[in-house]
Amino acid sequence: MPLLLDWRRRWHLRRAPPGPLRAYLQQPFPPVRTDYRELDYLAIDLETTGLDCRRDQILSVGYVTLHGVAIDLSSARHRVVRIDRSIPEASAVIHQITDDQAAMGGDLTEVLGELLGTLAGKVVIAHHAVVEQSFLDHACRRCWGKGLPLPLVDTQVLAYRTFERRQIPYRGSDLRLHALGHRYNLPRYGAHNALSDALAAAELFLAQAAYRDDGKGLPLADFLR
Amino acid sequence: MDIELIEIQEFLASHPPFDRLGQETLARLPRRLSVRYFRRGTTFPPEDADQPLLYILRRGAVELRDRQGELVGKLAEGDLFEMPCRTQPAEAGLQGLTAEDTLVYALPCVDLSQLRDENPTFAEHFEQSISNRLRKALDVVVDNPAAGTGLMTVQVRDMVKRPPVTATPDTSIREAAGIMSEQRVSSLLIMDGERLTGMITDRDLRSRCVATGLATDRPVREIMTEKLTTVDTETLGFQALITMTRLNVHHLPVLDGKTVTGLISSTDLTRFQSANSVYLVADIHRAGSVDTLTQISAKIEELQVHLMTGGATANHVGQAISAITDAITLRLIELAETELGAPPVPYAWLAGGSQARREQSSHSDQDNALLIADHLRPEDDAYFSALARFVNDGLDACGFVYCPGDVMASNPKWRQPLRIWHKYFANWMLKPEPMALMLSSVFFDLRPLHDPEGLFTELQERVLERSRANRIFIAYLAANALKNRPPLGFFRNIVLIRGGDHNHTFDIKHRGTVPIIDLARVYALSAGMPETNTIERLQSAAKCDALSKDGAANLIDAYEFIGTLRMRHQARQLRQGKKADNFVSPDDLSPLERGHLKDAFVLINTMQESLGQRYQAGRFT
Repeated sequence: MPLLLDWRRRWHLRRAPPGPLRAYLQQPFPPVRTDYRELDYLAIDLETTGLDCRRDQILSVGYVTLHGVAIDLSSARHRVVRIDRSIPEASAVIHQITDDQAAMGGDLTEVLGELLGTLAGKVVIAHHAVVEQSFLDHACRRCWGKGLPLPLVDTQVLAYRTFERRQIPYRGSDLRLHALGHRYNLPRYGAHNALSDALAAAELFLAQAAYRDDGKGLPLADFLR
Repeated sequence: MDIELIEIQEFLASHPPFDRLGQETLARLPRRLSVRYFRRGTTFPPEDADQPLLYILRRGAVELRDRQGELVGKLAEGDLFEMPCRTQPAEAGLQGLTAEDTLVYALPCVDLSQLRDENPTFAEHFEQSISNRLRKALDVVVDNPAAGTGLMTVQVRDMVKRPPVTATPDTSIREAAGIMSEQRVSSLLIMDGERLTGMITDRDLRSRCVATGLATDRPVREIMTEKLTTVDTETLGFQALITMTRLNVHHLPVLDGKTVTGLISSTDLTRFQSANSVYLVADIHRAGSVDTLTQISAKIEELQVHLMTGGATANHVGQAISAITDAITLRLIELAETELGAPPVPYAWLAGGSQARREQSSHSDQDNALLIADHLRPEDDAYFSALARFVNDGLDACGFVYCPGDVMASNPKWRQPLRIWHKYFANWMLKPEPMALMLSSVFFDLRPLHDPEGLFTELQERVLERSRANRIFIAYLAANALKNRPPLGFFRNIVLIRGGDHNHTFDIKHRGTVPIIDLARVYALSAGMPETNTIERLQSAAKCDALSKDGAANLIDAYEFIGTLRMRHQARQLRQGKKADNFVSPDDLSPLERGHLKDAFVLINTMQESLGQRYQAGRFT
């Protein structure tokens, strides 16, 4: 899978137009045998108008960089995206992003370009990453005509594997970000926005890594999907 | 739009010393942090940091041990670990281990020193300049909004409702009574021109005139009370209450300088809930048997809870409870004398320990002694033995349990004529044995409760004269005062009891209040001061250079702060129907209170060390 991923990167690179996506694709993905503690990561969370990446839109992006096993809060970003239709009330309640705020947000191309600049050379961390992956891929196709291959650590998948391996009975709700944070004695963030969820995912990753690592380090491959 | 890391900012804002940073600085601070996570049982601090960092615990706990594996400190949520930022690594050899899964925020030491440079109030925390912090802490802990207008904060000037109703000493009793009914007052101040010479009350009219058949055309001066206790306009309500309780009176003239501005009565005070200690004392004076006294004293715990919820400090509570214990003791002595007859020779009943210092709480045990006039005959001891037994048993029945060390008047050793007491003290001070030092908290804190002949004054004068002159004795006393140290780890962390019934707590009395009480005793005796109350001792010590003014003010604040936390802890236990104790868990304190408590401990430590140096106490242990 990682081999395939890097092949996809090079395949896209040859076809991508000049711009942020191309610059991102030029940066090789980290080798999967590398000790996970020596890599940089970007924990990402998106808020969207819904779950269908073809119909729904990205409302906001939150992300924060990890250098190895330390989250660097100076890198924390939260960007609201300007969208062309009004936000369904149900999702506005959750994200607390109103039409007015969204109208003041940045252009999708600009927000995405900035994200790609930060992302180059890093591994993505997300919780239930299929949302982030599909929306970002779709958005890149819309902006630059090509998709976005991502080396990805999904904290929900890691949690799922732990439950399965230890044969711990669990419910779907046990796999939610905050329920897992509670298990690892992580702080609970009351506010619900893309940045605080990205931070929560980053902290969850640190906890999961600490529980897997006996001090000798682990290859990145052990965390990838 | 960039959402700030608002929750991290809020976390910092609620933990000292970050609570002292300005809003703008606080808003920028989260961006300078990094986040780390450690599983339980991980070495702390991590060895892989690429620069020196200050650690702020967000979740979890860290235990710090010395080379011998002895626990020296524990970090909890909101605590700082600043060792990596110190220039001289004074605590090398310390082992940290996470006791729980732990999440920390790390701030580069360079950022910390910049913050310290730019924010003097923030820097104070690290420079351990404690005085202001403590004073503020005390404000916070007693500033209970529910008690905003309570007896603890209101001055008597605000309680005086009308100018005084007065009459001259030559007014006839009938006229005086007329004025009182016309003005609807129960008491009348007797003024000779501008000078207050006396007071009469309804009760005086009844008992000194009507009951004795005194002619009503006699002047009021014949029935007025001349020896008056007055209060200043700035006196706090609770102090007036304590004065009334102590003297068992219901009216106090209020003076502004020398001018009489009015009168407050116990009724004025009972508009405030906590005033029921006045009634308690009145009940005690009327009680005809030990059983009745026992019933009344059952209300003391309730009173303590009441006072604390009313926003009282430890000193307020100590004063109120001790006033009640005094009243109970006095009533027991009266009852004993009624039963046994008049004493064969004069004697003084002495209270010791916390009662003498007026620092009791509802579950203090009793310490007391009997001082008897020198012409005591051997056969008279049977009387005093019975009297002592009666009062000791009575106090025990009232909840002031027997002294575990048997320092009570019923013990023949502590029921002696004056000359023997002189000898006792002379010996203790000449040869300060461990036993004498142990008893010093009882016998160098003595207060006469019942002493019609003033026997105690003579004893006390000699003792103070000797203590002032005897530097060796003071040095022993100083060394003894350093035995109870505050529970402070190397990193300003509170060291906790591990295992047993009191796991994860610390003893706030023996490690917090007792060290200050001991310090105050040394200052007082070295200067030959007669005070017993700790706060009064510290105040007088500051006046006569036994202690710096700052030192005294800081110690008083620390004493009040720790004492108030202790009282509140006990009030909470009593409210929950538990037995009150001194074992406080840091988890029950807010992060701010924890921070201030550490300040108080650091201060005690500093004062103990400087006392130790002054008397080279190490040589006398």
